[in-house]
Amino acid sequence: MTPDESVDGQFVAQLTAVQVPLLAYVRSLLPGDPAARDVAQQANATLWIKRADFVPGTNFKAWAFSVARYEVLNYRKQQARDARLMFSPELEQTIATELAEAPDEFQAKHEALRACMEHLRTKDRDLLLHRYSQAGTLAEYAAKAGRSVGGLKVTLHRLRTVLLSCIQQRLRSQEASA
Amino acid sequence: MTPLERQQLIDALLDGAISEADFIRLEAELTIDPVARQEYYERVGLSLILENEAARLISTGEVASPAKANSGRPRASWRVAFLGMSAVAAALLLALLWRGMMGTPGDEPVEASGSQINASAEPKEEFASGFAVISGQADAVWEDGRARAVGSLVPPGEFHLRSGVVQLELFSGVVLVVEGQTQMTIHSPMEVAVVRGKVRARVPEPAQGFRVRTSTGQVVDLGTEFAVSAGDDETEVHVIDGQIDWHLPDRPARRLGAGEAIRRDKTGNENVFPSRADAFVGTEDLRSQLDLQQDHRLQQWTRRSEASRHDPRLVAYYQMSSKGLDDRLLSNLASGAGEKASSGAIVAGSPAADRWGRAGSAMNLSPAGSRIRVSVPGEHRSISLICWVRINSLDRWYNSLFLTDGHEQGEPHWQIMDDGRLFFSVKKRDVFDREKGEKDKHIYYSPVFWTSALSGQWLMLATVYDIDARRVTHYLNGEVLSEESIPEEYLVEIVRIGSASSGNGDQPKWDAPHFAVRNFNGNLDEFRLYSAALTGDEIRSLYTDGKP
Repeated sequence: MTPDESVDGQFVAQLTAVQVPLLAYVRSLLPGDPAARDVAQQANATLWIKRADFVPGTNFKAWAFSVARYEVLNYRKQQARDARLMFSPELEQTIATELAEAPDEFQAKHEALRACMEHLRTKDRDLLLHRYSQAGTLAEYAAKAGRSVGGLKVTLHRLRTVLLSCIQQRLRSQEASA
Repeated sequence: MTPLERQQLIDALLDGAISEADFIRLEAELTIDPVARQEYYERVGLSLILENEAARLISTGEVASPAKANSGRPRASWRVAFLGMSAVAAALLLALLWRGMMGTPGDEPVEASGSQINASAEPKEEFASGFAVISGQADAVWEDGRARAVGSLVPPGEFHLRSGVVQLELFSGVVLVVEGQTQMTIHSPMEVAVVRGKVRARVPEPAQGFRVRTSTGQVVDLGTEFAVSAGDDETEVHVIDGQIDWHLPDRPARRLGAGEAIRRDKTGNENVFPSRADAFVGTEDLRSQLDLQQDHRLQQWTRRSEASRHDPRLVAYYQMSSKGLDDRLLSNLASGAGEKASSGAIVAGSPAADRWGRAGSAMNLSPAGSRIRVSVPGEHRSISLICWVRINSLDRWYNSLFLTDGHEQGEPHWQIMDDGRLFFSVKKRDVFDREKGEKDKHIYYSPVFWTSALSGQWLMLATVYDIDARRVTHYLNGEVLSEESIPEEYLVEIVRIGSASSGNGDQPKWDAPHFAVRNFNGNLDEFRLYSAALTGDEIRSLYTDGKP
């Protein structure tokens, strides 16, 4: 293996490790925007092109975030006429700093979520599944399930809160037993 | 705001269903309250996990009870396993993971199998593309009519290049040169399918095994370079360097070496003949074609730049040149104005390549204390400042683009903040009462335009101070970054400059040490000062004419 290849291998490892935090970061800056995944993927492409600029030993996540932020700005520029809601630069800066420092617990949380989902009623699980698989709108689902959109929103809110507290409890009990 | 209300607003925001008024309330809360932000991060994270989980359940068909098959394999272990792998294997693995994390089925057990690509690790047909970026292009016209910048992702699915040439870099390191008309699909960093058209592939050693499929057969690379021309009636494969295997269904592979080509028509006739490298555009050819285009642009720019010198509004126009750098003096090229600026004196700057790649035609302003000293006489109303810069990093709190000596009433300051915002001000008053909330000037900031991602790229920055329209406009590469009205209280109708520096600040006279050093870390190609407000169209054409 040439030195270049080994460097690329390490780069890919770092890029892979940062995938979910990167997506969470982009999503935090583009809340409710379905294009967030595309923007994160474009950021990946840019990171790959600019891989030679990364200084090994420095904070990869912070570097990746700064590139992602530029992609967000770029995306917004393309969407200028659409004038979506966006946070102030100060708040965005705070988000970048805090998320870059946050521990990456997504994998553990995902595993906890799977356990928590088992305790939900089938119809609640179906609702979540529907909402997060993006198969059709909430209104279509409401019609099919014979419920109001407003009612579904309230249920979704409650389910998210229940899941978050269940996930946190599981993580805490794991920490305690570890 | 109660915690419950706050959580509901966050959910509404993440659902894309929040009113503007609620958004502003929530933003205020998030700005001041770390607890609120924590809740926000948690709910963003939850939505991602739920999306991945929903995708996983749908793909496995087990909507009722989530499987536990893979729960004993913590991700940390396979992350470490990456480190010993070759680039290709890692890229492939990345591709697999990517697919998992980007919303389609995740959590498949992924084995790190050393540097060999085995059949089971081979990507499947339904693979999302987007594993290639455009690394060069000449006159490219795409089927959908959209222009795609160098550095952008190749569109997913089958794409159709109508005409021109594009160079694609796959994440495996394979470089493809594609000539229009070509219709093809990138299935993975290791596999593409060409419906029709011409594609030349340069395959680096770690990407051996890269394959190109056509309607008649497929080429598997055994090292270096080959080209494929696929049509409705026949397919040709030319081996330019190294070896390939030519695979047909139900037949043993046929090996071809450098200098050999094979043609197969739709009736199944095959013949071997000498390969012709010159029939396909290679990376070198594309490079020289691009160089030619750039030469043409440079000539065009030189003519337009000559013509622009006679503009009576142009007070100062400095172009770095090797002669100027030798003499430590830059002549002011502006020739139309009645009262124009002095020549520029070079302090400590060193020669660097300019935005056209010409050595010694830009100035490196990174050395400590480096600057260009100028003197601009007279009084001005509106002004426009324009420069081409290549920023290495924003090391200082303030990074000077153009600063007057001292900071007297009526003097402008133009710089870049360490967070990547442009800063422009004209001093309104020397005496003011901070206690009463008075300030000496109003600062017009642009949004953040620079991050380290732009490091090393040439950019055209411009700021227009327009008295008649009562407006300050910042531009990046000819596009408006931001516009702001000049507050009545801070309107300065007479701008004075006098002695000033580009690339650095004056000796510190101020009360805080952070004012002391404003050394700009980067290169400067050219600088213009107009004693007038240029229109958005004028700024845009300065950019389109001047971009390399």
